[in-house]
Amino acid sequence: MVHEFQYRAPSSRPELLALLQEHGTSAKVLAGGTDLLPNIRMGIAKPAYVVDCKRLPEADRLVFSPSEGLRIGHGVTISAILRDRTVRERFPLLAEAAHELASHQVRNRATVAGNVVNASPCSDMALPLLCLDAEAVLASVSGERTVSFREFFTGPKATVMKPGEFLAEIRVPAAAADRKGRYAKLKRVKGHDLGIVGVLLASAPDGLRAAVSSAAPTPVLVSGIDASLDAQAVDALVQKAIKPIDDVRCTAEYRRYMVGAFIRRLLPEVNR
Amino acid sequence: MTITLTVNGVPYTRDAAENKTLLHFLREDLGLTGTKEGCGMGECGACTVFLNGRTVNSCCVLAVEADGASIETIEGEAGPAGLSEIQKAFDRNHAVQCGFCTPGMILSVKELLKAKPKPTVAEIKEAIEGNFCRCTGYEQIVEAVLDVTGQGTGKGRLDHV
Repeated sequence: MVHEFQYRAPSSRPELLALLQEHGTSAKVLAGGTDLLPNIRMGIAKPAYVVDCKRLPEADRLVFSPSEGLRIGHGVTISAILRDRTVRERFPLLAEAAHELASHQVRNRATVAGNVVNASPCSDMALPLLCLDAEAVLASVSGERTVSFREFFTGPKATVMKPGEFLAEIRVPAAAADRKGRYAKLKRVKGHDLGIVGVLLASAPDGLRAAVSSAAPTPVLVSGIDASLDAQAVDALVQKAIKPIDDVRCTAEYRRYMVGAFIRRLLPEVNR
Repeated sequence: MTITLTVNGVPYTRDAAENKTLLHFLREDLGLTGTKEGCGMGECGACTVFLNGRTVNSCCVLAVEADGASIETIEGEAGPAGLSEIQKAFDRNHAVQCGFCTPGMILSVKELLKAKPKPTVAEIKEAIEGNFCRCTGYEQIVEAVLDVTGQGTGKGRLDHV
């Protein structure tokens, strides 16, 4: 790579947070690297410091307990989500989305935390995390704060995270276990491709939830949908919440159409 | 930064520039040019290697991240007795044309067969979705995998060629 940077691989969280505090926006956290390294290569990212977070002992922790829910460490890969039996059985929405993310090689490296910190409007993992009332634990030298994913995304590639903050863990409440749903993602080819538009439809105690990607500046959640509504009525509610654009992949009109098509396709499966 | 890693069972200690990818380290510093650079962006899979037992795109891994790791590349695939069974099946089924995707393709197939010794066609296609082949149209590659798993015709079904 042409761009030069200094690599740091701290072995503890305090050490990592001190580095982020010291270097601020000139430091980038390296998790799976499947976005950051291509971005550095393309000249989109030019960090002076690359701080590898994978050597922290808690990085790969993926544990469920009825009291604390599911805790996803910052280094947990998409493949680890797919391999984990508890996740597959109790949080199938996470596995649905993980399965659609990129290719085998990318899933073996990319992390759940990295996928949401990048805050791409087409993030796959944002959709189940929104449907499951998940929270991000943001750590900095001054302490920890917890932010619901409903408030986490603020725009394309933008989040509430401040310089010096680190997404240390993702927490999914135990109350969200066993929520069922289906995910559909439109791509140019059947295999590995960025999403053109994605819809995750899930059932929750307050009614149906629809989470939509690539159809607004951020991933969108519509909750509290009356489960007795037909697909046309559900679509009308979702259409009010999204704000798709025309871009190189397709038109806003086509995105709106496909959101409706996916709702019509998924609703009978979710209501079954 | 000085790194120590094992590649195909051979230990190496080398200095690596902090901005060097594992792919370039393997090719330029260790002379293992079997691993190819296609897109350099984690899309095409030509640079697929095993890192600690799982396939990754080595263009999206820094060499310094692999400090302490165990790497397997295509150079480790053939043994003292010659080509591996997967390599022989690719050969038998004409699954190689220009050959540029082949090292990555073979390692992705190897990972698939560790998990699923008798994969279906759909499972094979899914396993190689991150490996682009612009020559074969994938048909012969799928046939090679069916063949090596005892599900093929044994002579290659080349009626589409």
